[in-house]
Amino acid sequence: MLAAITQDQLTNSIVQAMVQGEQQWLVSTIAAFLPALWTLSLILHFSRPYMVRMIRKLTLRFAADVWWLSFVLVRDAVMIITFALSFLFFLPNFAHNIPLPITGPIAGVFMFWALLVKLTGDVDDSARDYRLSSAFLVAGAALWLVPQLLAIETVSQPYMAGVVNALTSTSHQDITTAILLGSVVLMALTGAYIFNFVISGAPQDAPKPARAAAPALADAEAAAVSAR
Amino acid sequence: MNPDQLTQGITNAITAGGEQMLENTLAVMLPVLWLAVIALHLARPYMLHMIPRFTLRLAADIWWILYVALRDLVIVLTFMFSIMFLFPDVTVADPLPITGGLAAVCLFAVLVIKLVRDVDEDRRMFVLTSNLLGFGALLYLIPTVLGLQATGTASSGFWGRVANGLTTSTNPTVAVALAWFSAAAVTALGIYAVVYSTKQTTTTRVRPDIAA
Repeated sequence: MLAAITQDQLTNSIVQAMVQGEQQWLVSTIAAFLPALWTLSLILHFSRPYMVRMIRKLTLRFAADVWWLSFVLVRDAVMIITFALSFLFFLPNFAHNIPLPITGPIAGVFMFWALLVKLTGDVDDSARDYRLSSAFLVAGAALWLVPQLLAIETVSQPYMAGVVNALTSTSHQDITTAILLGSVVLMALTGAYIFNFVISGAPQDAPKPARAAAPALADAEAAAVSAR
Repeated sequence: MNPDQLTQGITNAITAGGEQMLENTLAVMLPVLWLAVIALHLARPYMLHMIPRFTLRLAADIWWILYVALRDLVIVLTFMFSIMFLFPDVTVADPLPITGGLAAVCLFAVLVIKLVRDVDEDRRMFVLTSNLLGFGALLYLIPTVLGLQATGTASSGFWGRVANGLTTSTNPTVAVALAWFSAAAVTALGIYAVVYSTKQTTTTRVRPDIAA
């Protein structure tokens, strides 16, 4: 009976429920919002032909540069935000207590690799690097979106029970732990490679900010300046 | 009931309540976003009319960039918020417009058409995207007005049946079928867009040269 609970017990119950409930709600909300971020990452990455077509319509180089830098900035920022939020699912307690896509950590690793290709290659100038980055992005999105759609958001459909059980993190604690730890190892190795890449490419002297390039003068104008 | 059961009960209430509150808030915001999508798309003649008034080419370019970026960003945002209509559990648990998933498919189709064709130059494609946006807006707004927001005033009789039929939680069989269909359509369109975009990079230099 509820009447048997003392005031202190009631207070503790409500406090614990608020802490646990809000934490679960926050994590579940991020999990539910990640499909939108993954989709946005894909949309921005693969909208490159549209962005290039728009640039050709602009009449000034300045406007074209503003358009291109805005596109690149938003595209890469969305990828980094998606990766940063995916990191939440590398924490074992969440994966064990909250139903999440079982392949979520691997999706995070693929996003990290897509960012790695951007760092070590030239995704905007090399078709090979662009395709490699695209492959990692699509694989990561599939590993997040498929379990999210077919398992986490399909619990109400009895005919999908087998799939729901197979793809939900809380149903297979051992497999979830193995995937999670394997992903953490891959992340650590990738992070170490990035660290080494950046350190080995660092300049010998202390870096100095480059001065802004002076605008080039036309020959006649340059001659006039030197004559003065 | 012991303290642990009470804790669990309140925890579940906070989690489920918070999730439903968030989803319902998105569903309420979506009509506004749909109206913004339509307004910005149909504002094209006004934007073009403004351009010759600028005395600087830079101002004209910035005006056009801002318009295009805002117009397309609102479409992308509206599609992002509509992704929840592809999830069967959400459609069963929350009262949502029953054809919201189909509206999301229309939005995504517009985005894919914008990717593969020049909608600002090709009149046929402009008409097609306009029709898709108009159709999508109707698919979202009609069930919202006659279903989701009419359950109080039309709780019985013909309009009551219409309201129940147009709301996902009171018509779950159709809602789940439409969610599956919409998810399949979005997936197919997405695969087409990925293949198209990847093929483009094999023949052309990825980074654009300076504007013409």
